[in-house]
Amino acid sequence: MALLDLQGVTKDYPLGSTIVNALRGLNLSIEKGEIVAIMGPSGSGKSTLMHILGALDAPTDGEARLEGQDLRSLSENELVTLRGRKVGFVFQTFNLIQTLTAQQNVELPMTFLGARRSARAERARALLAKVGLAERVGHRPNELSGGERQRVAIARALANDPEILLADEPTGNLDSETGATILQLLKQLCEDEGKTMILITHDPDAAAIADRIVRLRDGRVVEEARHV
Amino acid sequence: MFRDFLLLAVQSITHRKLRSALSVVGVFIGIMAVVALLTFSLGVEKAINDQVSKVFGVDTFMLIHEDLMTSRNHSSDLKGFALDIEELRRVDGVKTVAAIRQRTGFLQGPPGESGQSQQGFLPVMGLTPEMSTEFKSFLGDIVIEEGGRGIEPGDTHTALLGKEIAERLKAKVGDQIIIAGDKSAEITVTVVGVLTEQKEEQGSGFGFSTGPSLDTVYVPYDSMDMLWPESNDVVFTLVRTEPERDVDEVADRVEAAMKARGSKVSAMTFTDISKTIGMVTAVISGLFAGIAGISLLVGGIGVMNTMFTSVLERTKEIGIMKAVGAKNRHVLAVFLIESGLMGLAGGIIGALAGIGLGAAATWIVRAMFDVSVPLVISPIVVAMTLLGAFALGVVAGWWPARRGARMPVVDALRYE
Repeated sequence: MALLDLQGVTKDYPLGSTIVNALRGLNLSIEKGEIVAIMGPSGSGKSTLMHILGALDAPTDGEARLEGQDLRSLSENELVTLRGRKVGFVFQTFNLIQTLTAQQNVELPMTFLGARRSARAERARALLAKVGLAERVGHRPNELSGGERQRVAIARALANDPEILLADEPTGNLDSETGATILQLLKQLCEDEGKTMILITHDPDAAAIADRIVRLRDGRVVEEARHV
Repeated sequence: MFRDFLLLAVQSITHRKLRSALSVVGVFIGIMAVVALLTFSLGVEKAINDQVSKVFGVDTFMLIHEDLMTSRNHSSDLKGFALDIEELRRVDGVKTVAAIRQRTGFLQGPPGESGQSQQGFLPVMGLTPEMSTEFKSFLGDIVIEEGGRGIEPGDTHTALLGKEIAERLKAKVGDQIIIAGDKSAEITVTVVGVLTEQKEEQGSGFGFSTGPSLDTVYVPYDSMDMLWPESNDVVFTLVRTEPERDVDEVADRVEAAMKARGSKVSAMTFTDISKTIGMVTAVISGLFAGIAGISLLVGGIGVMNTMFTSVLERTKEIGIMKAVGAKNRHVLAVFLIESGLMGLAGGIIGALAGIGLGAAATWIVRAMFDVSVPLVISPIVVAMTLLGAFALGVVAGWWPARRGARMPVVDALRYE
């Protein structure tokens, strides 16, 4: 059974007085342990696809299954719990909470799942050490460089030991050198810990770390290429 | 988890120090006004109670017409009732009794130079000697014109005239006047003194219209018996209990005994008076607190406004929290704790400032009016105020917080 399985997925959402058909019968299957890059021009439905793959949103129609569970059958709270346990997000704009320290940011997903304070703190420090920020645990985001912020975000994404890492343009706000380091870190983590990663990107260099590249156009998969 | 949300809320408040402080100010002013008013009115209540217990004595109760105790009669006029004073004196636990009778009698002054004397129907009051010996403070300071004296124990055919009466009857100390009562009963009394105005600030005389009045003729209680043998015109009776007796219990017994003999009386003890005073001050302070409550409402709206801005500003943050596993109720809790804390902060500062303001008010009253009002800090008032301030914050934050919590995660994440 595929880890993620999308069959005939459509997603419509209202934009002003019109309805946008963001996804139009999309089929996609992702196996456990794969690194998949999703590429496509603006408006091709990348973000919408990411929302569905990350259990942030349910499709309008079609089947979207995460470990065999149909997302459309879940309540909002069940979706929250599912993504809290199974999915770790890495965003282009880092999306750290500015008022919290690096460690507190990493602890946050564990807090919402009700983890014990001491266990949380220990795991957060270990994860920050793993991404090379052992010395920066007490710093707030505005005291960190872009690369460091993205490392904190990666540590946060790993907090609940999810199956899937969902990275949305993770290098988009970084210079190429830092971007390359972050990509290497992500790839390394996936290989070490057997994570599945979905990488949404414009950047061919970023897509190069993937096992497979999926191209989207007008809400459909137009090409799937497997790296050798 | 509450501790973690508390931390999130505190960090958010301190992150926006100035705005948080400004919205706290609104709550602070309202709470300050409420606490100051309550503190001051509690002080006033205590001052009145102290004064009453000083004048009245906690071992004393009074008998008044039962109608005065009911809501049917709000007039301050004293209504006469029948009373067997000798029987009252014999009730177990009663030590001293002082009573006042009041009638309208026909008075005739001394003959003037032309042989004509002034006359008229005028109020006559009979006081038992205990009134001036045992309950002196109750009558207040009686000021008698030079050359005269008050009614003393053992007096029978004497009268103390109010100044206005003395002028009307053209009577002075040493003159003889005639008082006529029922069925041609008539006595001649000697004027022993003329009652004059009290010094102004002597406000300690307590008790309806029984305080010295300038248009009344005062005679010994016994003289009343001669003029009006049937004593169904007692307007007021003071009873002092024997030491160590339960005043309320004796009062109940007296009331029952007197009622059994046909007296329409009610006993009013210090406890009853305290209760009445408490009720009056509660109404007044409630009224003031209501006015202060308006500023609290404004303060609450201030907190609401801040929370709305905060929710809007942190839309993205809400999206992030939800993306990493926060449920709606988690987001709601974070924002409610935040607004509750702002309310509580305003409450704490406001309560302290309110107590300070209350203290200042008692000081000013003392300095300006020479009335000593104690500073009463009620832990209940303080606790209720703090609880109320927190609740105000939570209520004000409810709507914005709910709006934030219900935001779809995808929209929140996309928000810039």
